[in-house]
Parts: sequence; C-alpha cells; structure tokens
Amino acid sequence: MKLPTNIIPGTLTLPSLVVVMVFGLAAAAWAQPDRVLVPSGSFHSVMPEMKGEAVPVDSFYLDITAVTNEKFAGFADQNINWRPNEVPAVFTNKGYLKHWQEEGHKPDYKHIGRERPVTNVSWFAANAYCQWSGGRLPTLNEWEYSAQLMDFDSSGEVNEFATKLVGWYSSVDTKNLGEVGSTGIETRVGVKDQFGLIMEWVQDFKPPVADDLSLDCGTVGRMQQLGNAYSYAASIRYITRMSYNPKSSIGTMGFRCAYDVDPKLESNEP
Amino acid sequence: MNFPKRTMALLTGLIFAGFFTLAQAQTGEYELDGMTFGMPEAEVFTEDYDGPPVAGEYLTMLPNLKPLDYEGNKHHEVRIDIIAQEIEVADGVKYNAWTFGGTVPGPVLHVKEGDRITFVMKNRSDEEVTITEPTKEGAPFMQQTAQNNFMKAQPATMPMPHSMDFHAGTVAKDDKWRSISPGESIKFDWIANYAGSYIYHCGTPSVLMHTAMGQHGVVVVSPRDGYDTDYEVDKEFVVVQSEYYLKKGAGELFQYDFEAALNVNPSHVVFNGHQTILHDQPLEANAGDRVRLHVSNNGPSGTSSFHVIGAIFDRVWMEGHPFNEMRGMQTVLLGASSSATMDFIVPEEGKYILIDHEFADAEKGATGTLKAGPRTN
Repeated sequence: MKLPTNIIPGTLTLPSLVVVMVFGLAAAAWAQPDRVLVPSGSFHSVMPEMKGEAVPVDSFYLDITAVTNEKFAGFADQNINWRPNEVPAVFTNKGYLKHWQEEGHKPDYKHIGRERPVTNVSWFAANAYCQWSGGRLPTLNEWEYSAQLMDFDSSGEVNEFATKLVGWYSSVDTKNLGEVGSTGIETRVGVKDQFGLIMEWVQDFKPPVADDLSLDCGTVGRMQQLGNAYSYAASIRYITRMSYNPKSSIGTMGFRCAYDVDPKLESNEP
Repeated sequence: MNFPKRTMALLTGLIFAGFFTLAQAQTGEYELDGMTFGMPEAEVFTEDYDGPPVAGEYLTMLPNLKPLDYEGNKHHEVRIDIIAQEIEVADGVKYNAWTFGGTVPGPVLHVKEGDRITFVMKNRSDEEVTITEPTKEGAPFMQQTAQNNFMKAQPATMPMPHSMDFHAGTVAKDDKWRSISPGESIKFDWIANYAGSYIYHCGTPSVLMHTAMGQHGVVVVSPRDGYDTDYEVDKEFVVVQSEYYLKKGAGELFQYDFEAALNVNPSHVVFNGHQTILHDQPLEANAGDRVRLHVSNNGPSGTSSFHVIGAIFDRVWMEGHPFNEMRGMQTVLLGASSSATMDFIVPEEGKYILIDHEFADAEKGATGTLKAGPRTN
C-alpha cells in the first residue's frame, strides 16, 4: 500500500487530504485539459529564512507539462518581438532559442522535436509567454510545493529518488531531451516532469534572501534544514536557479505556466 | 563676457572631477609591506568570443610548467573558459566533467611573485568546445592537449552557473569570485602577492559538487628571489592530487555520486586527473638529477601523505613559500587545498614511485612513476 506522504513526510493530514480530493474532483470539471489544480497546502522549504515553519501555499492551476517547442513556436508566430531574430537584446542573452536552427523563426522539428520542452528561453520570454497564454509563471514556493506532492513508500525511497536527482543535476544531455511527460515522474495531482527533464523558471527565482546567502560555500549547509538527501538536491536546484539572471537563455532552462484559481471557487474553500 | 567665464568654470569643474576620480582610483589600490591590494571592481559582461578556451603564454598542461623567461614583474593577460567535456579518468571510466579549459585539473598557470594578472573567463558550459584540434592560437596548453589527448576529451555541454576562486589572489570574494551564468564572462585583476603553489577552483555552491566534478587547477607563483637550490634543479614538474566520486550512470557514462562525496569515500584518487597517467606517461629524469615537484592536493576533501619511494626530500617548502623550508622529509602531509614545493635527488637509475602514503588512496590510484636513466655527467 502506498503511504500518502509528502516527500517530506507528515505534512498532509488525513482530513485535509479528503477536502483536497473532493475539491480536486470539482475543479477538474472546470479545468482545461492541459492544466490541473494544485490544492492549497504547505511544505517545508530549504530556505534558511523559513526555519522549521511550513510555508503555506494557496491553490493554483499548473500546466501538467512544461511548454513545448511547438507551443512556444505558436507564441513566437503571433508575437514578432519574440522571434529569435527579432527579440530585443534587453530581454535575453545570446543563445535565445539557439537550438531551433531556424529558418526565419520556425524551429527545425526533425532535430529538436515538437513535444520536447522548449529551452534556451530567458525569464523575460517565459514571462511573456505565460502572460500571453492567460497565466503567469508559478512562484518559487508554488513550484517547489507542487514538486513535493509525491508519494513514496519509505524514507529510503525518498533518499534513492533524491540521489538520482543529484546525479541528474550533474549531467543533463541537453541535445537529447525527452518529450514532455516522458519521465514517468508525476505528482499525486498529476503534474509531470518537475524533475528529470529540464530545470524551470519561476517568478521569483532570485528571492531577496539570495543576496544574504551570498551564494558561497556555506550556502548548501545552511539549506540542509530537512537533513535528508532531498534537501541536498533541493539546495542545488535553488542555488543554481538563483545564480541565473533574467536574460539567461540556457539549454537546461524551460518553464511551465501557473494560473490563478477563479475567485468564486476560492471562496468555497474551507 | 559670460561665455568664457562659464567655460572656465566648466573646465575647472572637469579638472576637479578628474582629480577626484584619480584620487579615488589611488585610494582603491594601495601598497602594504611591499604588496599591492585593492583591485578594481570585477566586470561581468557578454562577449562573442569563441576562440581557444585557454589563452596566455604561461599556461600549460600538467605536469609541465612553462619557465619564466622574463626579468622583473609582468602583467599577464590570462583566459581560462569554463567548458563541459567528456573525459576518461581511468580505464573505461568516462564522465561529463565540469572543467576549466577542458581538462581535470585545469591548466597550470605560472607567474612570479608580484606579477599582475588580468583574468577573463567565459562560462561556455552551454556550448560545445573542442580542445583537441591542433591550433596555433591560445596557450601552450592548447597545443599540449591536442598532442596528448590521454583523457580522450570530447566536447559536451552541461549548463550551470560557475565561478573562479584563485587561492593565489587576495580579493573580496563577493566581487571577484562571483558566479556567472552560461553565456556570461567575468574579468578581474589580481596580484600574486605571495610566492607558492595555490589551487584555484569553482566556488559556486555546492562547492563539493563543482570541485568534485572537475573544476580545480593550480597557479605556481615563483618567488621573486627564487629558492636556494634553483641553480641545481634539473627537472621541474607539477603534480596535483584529487579525488573523483563517480558511479555508473544509466548509460555509458559515469555520474557524480553525492553520497560518496559527502562521506569522503572517493571512487578514484588520482595524480594529474587520471588514475594511471603518471604510469602510462612517467616523469623522466636521470640519476644524480635534482628533481623539483610542485605538489598540490586539490581535494576536494581528502588529505595526501605525499612520498616518493626510494627518495628523501632534500628540501621542502611548505605551500611553496621560500621561508617555509624543511629538510630531509620522507613524507609531506598536505591538507585539502594545500601544497608544497619539494626537491629530491634521484639516487640511481630505476623506477621511483610517487605515492600518497595513505594506502587506501594509493590503491584507488594515487600513485605515479618517475623513470630514472643512468647518470650522465
């Protein structure tokens, strides 16, 4: 039997789980097929400023998978300013969509795959896409909270997963990325590939505390709040993401969008 | 006549402003005990550079050290770019290394005490860079890797933020050693104020992961007035000890094993980045030669009890500083990021084994050979 535990065991109590499930079913009817409701809850962050306290997160919708090359091409089609040869230099470093090997602004799908996640997009571009699609980038806490909604049988399994994760953070084959949905890694509400495919932009990827942490040798130690392998993997993810700047267009960085919950639905929440 | 007055006022203003800037620059850089401190702020920028990842006259591949062929001090322009590279570090053990310049350890930089270094580094971790094609451009390091590709280096990519921390430099780390994203470059100055051999490494967290993945190397700062025995030295080499923490990944390649790294249980402990390179390509000397080794233990986490089987170190300068002289040492204990410059006399023709006398390390690879020919003079 699967234990319905968070990746950091013990934060989701049974009553709230029931509420979540009912609420989840109701919301599914409203939701678009490519996004799911991530129910409100809380999680333990590795950030030193949040020592011991669970971080509450309101419910929100999140894309099931990362934005694909094809979807991003649709966006670039309709928004001339975001085509590779048109994009203003203030919004991206060189390297924006460099894997497209485009003629004009069309990606070469034979090489890069329609259904592979788009990468080499700056934070500015990711933001623009999500706005265009009626959403926004998830916040750092939303993304991390969602990523932790996974079921594991034991803490041993969590450690094994986290160990693989660190290995993956050390070596991603950017030229042979899998298609979205291909990792088999899925949260209990159905969000796919938050690990194992690409790294993803979030709204506040460089939170104010990044300066305090000063991103030096002690930083990882200060992020070992949870004392397990998962927090080591998380600290590498946080630090790597924090070290980028909004213009960085990088072969491992893609994104997915989040959407606010309809206010009427929100008011039904207990 | 308002106009000339105004012009005069403007000019005076400009001159004052000029003095002010000059005064600022002067208070920025200062001398203390014959050393220079207070370097200008580092510059982070983007550039189109796609040339050799290592440039500068005094950068070589281990175990070589480029002799200093100049009098007095020199202002060096040095480039060491960050690139990912698939390399072989033991028979059949390949992984995608994070490197300075394409090899692990990175190139050896040789300068003199008091030299100024203007250092440029581009984070090209998101770009395939070949280091094994013969080129006339770039540092001697580039020709040496092309001629002697024992690591079977292949271009790879693994985009990550990275940084450079020269232990030979005395600067504020939050400025000079800051992390840059793929596609960005950083440029800063430092002065080699102290003689000795100093490691350099990536300081981006997790430092354990970044250094274990291969981002480290050595700067040899030769003392202004040399060491006592300089005139007797026949051969000079650089030897770096370091650890790998690797395990088989899903495919052909090996991967970083963070549990082993955290528990300081290396899969390989090596000299000059490869488990058998100093046996496959032994150091060479003759009986009666005075051999000088600059030995650095780059870690990331282990110690080295460095010994040469069949020899005694005639002189040892701890950290390579000429004032730290010891004599008649059998073994030199080096902590992580610690070094020594050591002389020994090769007694007779034969084989001498360089070894970390912590035998667990030796059996994981920390050994090498010095092959001695007959006495010639």
